[in-house]
Amino acid sequence: MKIIACCKIVPNEEEITILPDRTLNTAEASLKISQYDLNALESGKVLAAESGGSMAALSIGSSSFLENSKIRKDVLSRGADELNLVIDDAHSFSDSLQTAKAIAAALKAIGSYDVVLCGAGSSDLYLQETGIQVGTLLNLPVVNNVTGIKAASEHTLEVERTLEEEVEVLEVPLPAVLSVSSEINVPSVPSMREIMKAGKKPVNLLSIDEELAPSASIAEQLAPQQQERRQETIEGDNEEAVNALAAFLRKEGF
Amino acid sequence: MAIQSIFIVSDNYAVLPEFCAGAKKLADSVTAVVFGDEAAAKEHISCGADKIIFCPVSEEGAPEDYAAPIAALVKEQQKAMVMVNNSIRGRCLAGKLSVYLDTAVLGSVNDLSVENDALFCHRVVYGGTAQRKESFTAPYGVITISAGIFEAPAETSGNAEVLPIAGEPSQPIRRISRNEKKEGAVNLVAAKRIIDVGRGLAAEEDLEMCRNLAKVLDAEVGCSRPVAENNKWMPKACYMGITGVQVKPELIVVLGVSGQVQHIGGINKSKVIVAINKDKAAPIFKNADFGLVGDMYKIVPSLIEKLS
Ligand SMILES: Cc1cc2nc3c(=O)[nH]c(=O)nc-3n(C[C@H](O)[C@H](O)[C@H](O)COP(=O)(O)OP(=O)(O)OC[C@H]3O[C@@H](n4cnc5c(N)ncnc54)[C@H](O)[C@@H]3O)c2cc1C
Repeated sequence: MKIIACCKIVPNEEEITILPDRTLNTAEASLKISQYDLNALESGKVLAAESGGSMAALSIGSSSFLENSKIRKDVLSRGADELNLVIDDAHSFSDSLQTAKAIAAALKAIGSYDVVLCGAGSSDLYLQETGIQVGTLLNLPVVNNVTGIKAASEHTLEVERTLEEEVEVLEVPLPAVLSVSSEINVPSVPSMREIMKAGKKPVNLLSIDEELAPSASIAEQLAPQQQERRQETIEGDNEEAVNALAAFLRKEGF
Repeated sequence: MAIQSIFIVSDNYAVLPEFCAGAKKLADSVTAVVFGDEAAAKEHISCGADKIIFCPVSEEGAPEDYAAPIAALVKEQQKAMVMVNNSIRGRCLAGKLSVYLDTAVLGSVNDLSVENDALFCHRVVYGGTAQRKESFTAPYGVITISAGIFEAPAETSGNAEVLPIAGEPSQPIRRISRNEKKEGAVNLVAAKRIIDVGRGLAAEEDLEMCRNLAKVLDAEVGCSRPVAENNKWMPKACYMGITGVQVKPELIVVLGVSGQVQHIGGINKSKVIVAINKDKAAPIFKNADFGLVGDMYKIVPSLIEKLS
């Protein structure tokens, strides 16, 4: 089976700083693979191994994100045999349909594949729609919130999907696009060997020629007003420290 | 009004009165698209919509299969907003509809505002670091929205016209089986006191210790997302954060939670936050009123003793 796992590179949200006017400064934040795309990479790695197939990763974004060699290596140390990139500085991709159109065009450029995997939602925008949109654009079957994947035959997968109040098992004809739930697995930490091998794997630059007009515009983006906290902190887990906590709770009326 | 037409698409009848009341304030005409037979649709005739369009999903079928016919219905209007219930099926429908209507989805919208006749959608981005305000530039827009954003009307009235959807479902995926999932429910939103358990908990059995602390404090127990999702030690309805439950108790005692932005976004409306974490540098301490840097396995039993 030929698997393509989509992953987005994002600024680490823990390192985004808030400026006095409540706008965000993402410039100093380090880059990371969007947290829940790690689940897609892990699912792809497992499925490729089980089906005797291969996995390629695909990422779309600006040059400041995708030309970073450390992040490329990080993606390639997680089971992908190669990395396909669409580097695009002309679009902001703040609209999920725009991103989905670019991914669909990249998949057409890649040509053949059986399973396209996406994470539940990206760490920055968390729309949870891109995978569904990609599949719909390509007129392929799509399933979201996938919690289990098994190859049923060469041309079908048996997919478990967990909804709010039920679990369904679906027979999905291939090719198909699946968005995996963050519950599906716990991504493994790359081994030393995987990290060493990552640097030697091919990186392919794709060019796509697709109309990518946005359909929404951002009027404002501001950090929420911060709630002031007292931050009284005591170090220690001895009797004295616990007494201080009990006293605090009593003082507050609990 | 700001918009001519709003289509509410929901796989859950229960949200209709609230969504219709909210939509009525924004649009001249409100159509509810529901999934089930005509009899079920007729039971909701007074939900507040002007029209109810029902999609008769069969035993083998799913609401998602009706995306193309629903898009065709929306396209009868030159401009419209589609408001989809923010469930897993709802999000699948929203994504498909957005492609057929060639527009973006603005997901998990937490507020809608109107300025100069334009509709703005507000949503959280970067894990809770910012709130973004956006508007559609295309003739159509698709949003997903959860219950609790609009005010639910005390009583509903109305007499909607009930019609079947035109067009056939497409069903590329066969369902092999379906099983009900049984998970306990707790009402953290209404809780006055909460014990918040994170991945600092080493084993499922140790939840007992947290429950005992909850007992002496007369609190409910909730958790962080990985405790529910990855460890599966608590139901998913128990995790707090921007993608989980947002709580506002008088007291929350946070045990072994690092305090990542996404989690803080769910608990920062609490009146008093107490944090226990063995890592002095954990971000939770910046968001706490009172913090103890230490081992929860030493602190919690001793605290239970002192409070009993
Ligand atoms: C798009 C997106 C949405 C998300 N939404 C949510 C959400 O809504 N809610 C949510 O919770 N998370 C959410 N997350 C996940 C979030 O980023 C964190 O991964 C998660 O909150 C971490 O959970 P934790 O603090 O329990 O675990 P960890 O980060 O692993 O922290 C465990 C803590 O326990 C401490 N500890 C360990 N042992 C002890 C001990 N014996 N005594 C005291 N302390 C101890 C450690 O020092 C550490 O600080 C989201 C992530 C993404 C990308």
